[in-house]
Amino acid sequence: MALNTELIGKEYAPHTITVEREHVLGFARAIAEDAPVIVDAEAARAAGYPDQLAPPTFVTTMQIMTSAQIVADPELGLDYARVVHGEQAYEWHRPIHVGDSLTAVPRIADISSKGPLEFLVIEAEIKDAVGETVVTARTTLLSRGTAGGGG
Amino acid sequence: MSSHVRLEEVQVGEAIPVASKVVQREDVKAYADASGDQNPLHQDDAFARGVGFPGIIAHGMFTMAHVVKAVTDWVGDPGALMAIDVQFRAVVFMDETLEAGGEITAVDPGARTATLSVWAAVERDGKRVLAVKNSRAQVRLA
Repeated sequence: MALNTELIGKEYAPHTITVEREHVLGFARAIAEDAPVIVDAEAARAAGYPDQLAPPTFVTTMQIMTSAQIVADPELGLDYARVVHGEQAYEWHRPIHVGDSLTAVPRIADISSKGPLEFLVIEAEIKDAVGETVVTARTTLLSRGTAGGGG
Repeated sequence: MSSHVRLEEVQVGEAIPVASKVVQREDVKAYADASGDQNPLHQDDAFARGVGFPGIIAHGMFTMAHVVKAVTDWVGDPGALMAIDVQFRAVVFMDETLEAGGEITAVDPGARTATLSVWAAVERDGKRVLAVKNSRAQVRLA
């Protein structure tokens, strides 16, 4: 079954987190990241940052939550067993640091097809407590064999 | 609050050091817990075999994190990464050696930034398989 292209442009519920030190350290350990500005608050401040930086891809932790809403939207008609993560892009307007309060607003930016593949593009603007954009995220999910209503 | 690499020190065509890591089951479990992505494809061998893989696979975002690390280790500051766009082309299995690297494709002396093409690869059955290709990153230089 083809994805519902009428949902292009649909916005989903915002998701807000506070960036906690322990979560940043756990994420850093999981990806073997040991940069001083990430694992040591003093080193981060000495480098001019307000607090320890999160690893750049820490922003992924927000996307798991935001994408889940879209993937589960019954109007979209996505079969998650057919889904592959095709592409991921991030643009950082500034680094994320411990103590940041971040809000992501996800939306369906595009749905297209090429042969048997369908492409679902999810974009999220992630803003801080004062409403400045911190990260722009774009996720492309591939749905295999669903284009054209062919099954 | 910036890169440790000076723009004047880099040249288009220059490769950055390759970051190498053996991907182990406990790494993928730790990534699932830290990221919140508990998809059984990354934890349950029987489930992974059910969808046609020989066993669990690493998260695409785990692979992407290592591409990012290759770039930020080279530039010397994770805060100097401005943008990245990766295309996932192959999955990564347990106990494979994941390599990530890149090459400088452009420098902007006005903005003091560099653009790199970046990649990730594993050796499988004697062949090099690209897990990430046609991908790029942008960093701020000193």
